[in-house]
Amino acid sequence: MYSKELQEVFSRLGIKVGDTILIRSDSDLQQGILMPRTEAGGSDIIVIKRKDGYNIGIKYSNSIKVEKVSESTSHNFSFPKKESRPNPSLGKMAMIYTGGTIGSKVDYVSGGVYMLTKPEELLHDVPELDQIANIEINELMSVASEDMSYHAWIKMAEATAKALNNGAKGVVITHGTDTMHYTSAALSFMLKDLNAPVVMTGSQRSSDRGSSDAFMNLICSAQMAMKSDVAEVGICMHGSSSDNTNIFIRGTKARKMHTSRRDAFKPINNLPICSVDQKGKITYLSDYRKVSEGHKQKVSAQIGYEPKVALVKAYPNSDPEIIEYYLSKGYKGLIIEGTGLGHVPSQTEKKEYSWLSNVKKATDSGMIIGATSQCLYGRVSGTVYRNLRLLEDAGAIHCEDMLPEVAYVKLGFLLGNYGKEKARDMLNKDIAGEITHRTEFDFPTE
Amino acid sequence: MHDKDYYKSIGFRCGLEIHQRLSTEHKLFCECSTDSSGDRVIGSVERRQRAVVGELGAMDRSTSFESSRNRSFVYNIFKRSSCLVDVDEEPPHHVNMHAVEAALRFASAFNAKIPDEIEPMRKEVVDGSDPSAFQRSMMVAYDGTLEIGKRGIPITSIFLEEESSGIVSTKDDTVTYNIDRIGIPLIEIDTDPSISSPQEAKEAALKIGLLLRLTGKKEGDTAVSEVQRGIGTIRQDVNVSIAGGTRVEIKGLQEIDSVDLFIENEIERQLRLIDIKKRLIERHAQVDGKSIDLTEILKHHDGKIVRDALSKGGVVLGARLKGFSGFLGMEINPDRRLGSEVSDYAKMAGVRGIIHSDEDLGKYELSEDTVMQIRQALGANSDDAFILIAADRQSCSKAMAHAIDRARMAMAEVPPETRAVADAKKGNTRFMRPLPGGSRMYPETDSEPIEITSQFYEAVKKGTVYMQERIRKLEKELNNPQIAEQMASSTKLMLYEYITGRVKGVNLVVAATLLEKVRELERSGISAELDRDTFVNIFKRYSEGEITKAAIGEIIKYSPKSASDVERIVKSNELERISGAKLKDMVARARKNGADAMREIMSKHRLNVDGEELRGLIGDKK
Repeated sequence: MYSKELQEVFSRLGIKVGDTILIRSDSDLQQGILMPRTEAGGSDIIVIKRKDGYNIGIKYSNSIKVEKVSESTSHNFSFPKKESRPNPSLGKMAMIYTGGTIGSKVDYVSGGVYMLTKPEELLHDVPELDQIANIEINELMSVASEDMSYHAWIKMAEATAKALNNGAKGVVITHGTDTMHYTSAALSFMLKDLNAPVVMTGSQRSSDRGSSDAFMNLICSAQMAMKSDVAEVGICMHGSSSDNTNIFIRGTKARKMHTSRRDAFKPINNLPICSVDQKGKITYLSDYRKVSEGHKQKVSAQIGYEPKVALVKAYPNSDPEIIEYYLSKGYKGLIIEGTGLGHVPSQTEKKEYSWLSNVKKATDSGMIIGATSQCLYGRVSGTVYRNLRLLEDAGAIHCEDMLPEVAYVKLGFLLGNYGKEKARDMLNKDIAGEITHRTEFDFPTE
Repeated sequence: MHDKDYYKSIGFRCGLEIHQRLSTEHKLFCECSTDSSGDRVIGSVERRQRAVVGELGAMDRSTSFESSRNRSFVYNIFKRSSCLVDVDEEPPHHVNMHAVEAALRFASAFNAKIPDEIEPMRKEVVDGSDPSAFQRSMMVAYDGTLEIGKRGIPITSIFLEEESSGIVSTKDDTVTYNIDRIGIPLIEIDTDPSISSPQEAKEAALKIGLLLRLTGKKEGDTAVSEVQRGIGTIRQDVNVSIAGGTRVEIKGLQEIDSVDLFIENEIERQLRLIDIKKRLIERHAQVDGKSIDLTEILKHHDGKIVRDALSKGGVVLGARLKGFSGFLGMEINPDRRLGSEVSDYAKMAGVRGIIHSDEDLGKYELSEDTVMQIRQALGANSDDAFILIAADRQSCSKAMAHAIDRARMAMAEVPPETRAVADAKKGNTRFMRPLPGGSRMYPETDSEPIEITSQFYEAVKKGTVYMQERIRKLEKELNNPQIAEQMASSTKLMLYEYITGRVKGVNLVVAATLLEKVRELERSGISAELDRDTFVNIFKRYSEGEITKAAIGEIIKYSPKSASDVERIVKSNELERISGAKLKDMVARARKNGADAMREIMSKHRLNVDGEELRGLIGDKK
């Protein structure tokens, strides 16, 4: 943002971002296109783009004169397009935009972020999609994934069900990567009688850079949606740092494990369902629910959700009063991300650090408490150590090899649709692949 | 070589872009080492890239061209000298302020203007040389001057940017790069196109190089150079155009000595192309752009190129170039013909090259009969030329389209191109890609602008030692313009300044020792990498009369490790100076024996006796 003073100067001179301006000082004369300032906070440094393409910043002061040279030629910003022609030999694919880095581009003149909402804009950037499917784009929302709530999950579940019931062979959902694994878990639980691939994808490098992973992620996801026979929700992103193959990870077993790498998403306690490349070659790697031919039932969105559910972490010196807090706020469920096999501090030297009495008090008053592990990898247990038994005795439910975030999403889903009693019962039973009953030994593949 | 008026008469314009790697400890946007010696490859990743639209909406012609080549890039990753940032898996860290300071120092040395805020940009590159598909680059200064004699050549801009990666190999559609050097800070100095002759271009390149080496950071009484030295650490790009021609950029000249040769050849190339254009028009030449599948005619053909392609299910395409006969074979540079240019364009689609009718077709085992059939199929008579390309269908038609494009340009213009060295000895170049425009720049949104306050800039200038001061000082204290000039451009300058700052009155001896003796030892394989304080110790002994000038080289030869080591070497090799009364005695003794005292003593005590002192003594006695 420019400072208030500068904004006033510009508006007085009728200068808008994108216009060509002249800046005169005692010793210098610079002409260029006025650029937006993306940094927060008012600045008195004017950024212009010179003819050679470089931007420079010139500090505004009383000894500087700004003049307008000419209007911007591109006030009506639009993306380049490639004509899309329906191909009768290809099936229909729904593409649902929700926001995030993928599917959006920056207009550097106005500084605005726009979504590629028309098939012909997307096809200009990723012309390969034209050969895979006839694509219908649904611009459902434009929300950064860290800003999403369960309302977004419900909207996505409904839009997906609608698209599939309207004849789409598969669905691709583009999503910000930060919380994509929460959404993928939510959709896995919410989509009832699913009989088609629902492929979530995103990108770790924005699509305005030539090295973006968005292009390959979109192509592989479209291939997955149109050519696989997986009747599940999953995440389709890079399998390694190379642009070779993507992996499709079950929606309830995926987790973002890196802040910035392309292959940030990993399957936890599970293998990927399959790998897929840009040409549509799919290699299945583990069991999955298959699309069944005779399936007549329409897919529906089970959209009940109880938002009064929380995820808390137990760690050395952690204060169990946190449970008290949630109880007082009317929370109905709590997932504890415990240590190791699912521990919380129990027989502590100082009594106030033990979680046991708080857990017991909460479960006694009807709150459902699930125990998972911050190890992420592996299964929790309610029996191995005395402290684990004490926690179970206090009423907590150990959640097998379910990821903490998945257990958290699941608990809200169960409470929203089945009521307290059934929810307590179903928490540690598999309903959407979130719990596996046996864990195969896995050898490193790389 | 022509005189200046000649270049004026052909409308010669020439500008330079000098790229010099900085010697900062870390890279420009991460903490990786800039020194990859002894580092090792720990793995590689494979990537694909595509052109994206630049900041102002237009897709740059050079980037869309590169991206039309469907290639994949392999990046070799190094242990110490590359990290996630270099392989485009982590956002850039804070900018290396040492590099920014160095850049500002150079900017002030050229008397250039500094913006109040430096804006890091992304310059799109899709030749794969950067895993992020862009190079981070920022303008640190503009409107400076390079003084050459009385003339001032305008410096239009000075950039601080990231080094690209080094190409390892190109095989089929895969290009492999080493990313150890990617991200090393690089300073780019651009002149305006007012350079008036190839010789002046060379002179300007030399002067800029010298200025970059001699402008340094003040440290005590010496200046620390902030540029890397050695092969590949400085590169010259030259832009050349003549009237009726166009701007062509020749990239990556490493040998400054051949800068003028490359420019002369580029002038020649453009002149020839202009001439060809004229003659093609006179001949009513035409390129209709049609290509015809000749696979059927050539399916039993035995020539290697065709057979290789057909055995893999490929095709042979041919095109007629009406009125072109004789032109494709016309030499436009040493060992380069118009046909080579057309072939370069075709190669961009991944094919090995073209066959054209101005070549000796016998070498492809094409019989007269087959050539007849080809001409017939293409409708080409003896005035016409034809080109053939054999490869898989997709690459073949892409290559043919590129080739036809280039042939068409021959009738219209000298195409604006970026060219690379084809043969360093002959000084000729080959087409690399179309000349990039300005629309491949967009802001580096991952890093912050760098505000340069006037206080900060003043402090940088205060901490700078400039070339002129250093050269002036050298000329004064050495009193020998030739040695001063040699010292100025020597890698030993810093060492010279260190020693002479600590031992007075021995400047010429220090300079001669470093420039001649040390280099001579290094050439014969003896490491003269002494600690600088050991050098100081040796020259101190000399200045105090403990050893002779001749003994200095002898001591260095023994590579002393410390001052006490020098003491030991002097003693054990009897290198102490003999002078005064002792020398007088020696002279007297030699005389007594009737010998030629000078010869007698010098032959035995060359390293111990100062020739001048001895001559003085002998003269005294006469």
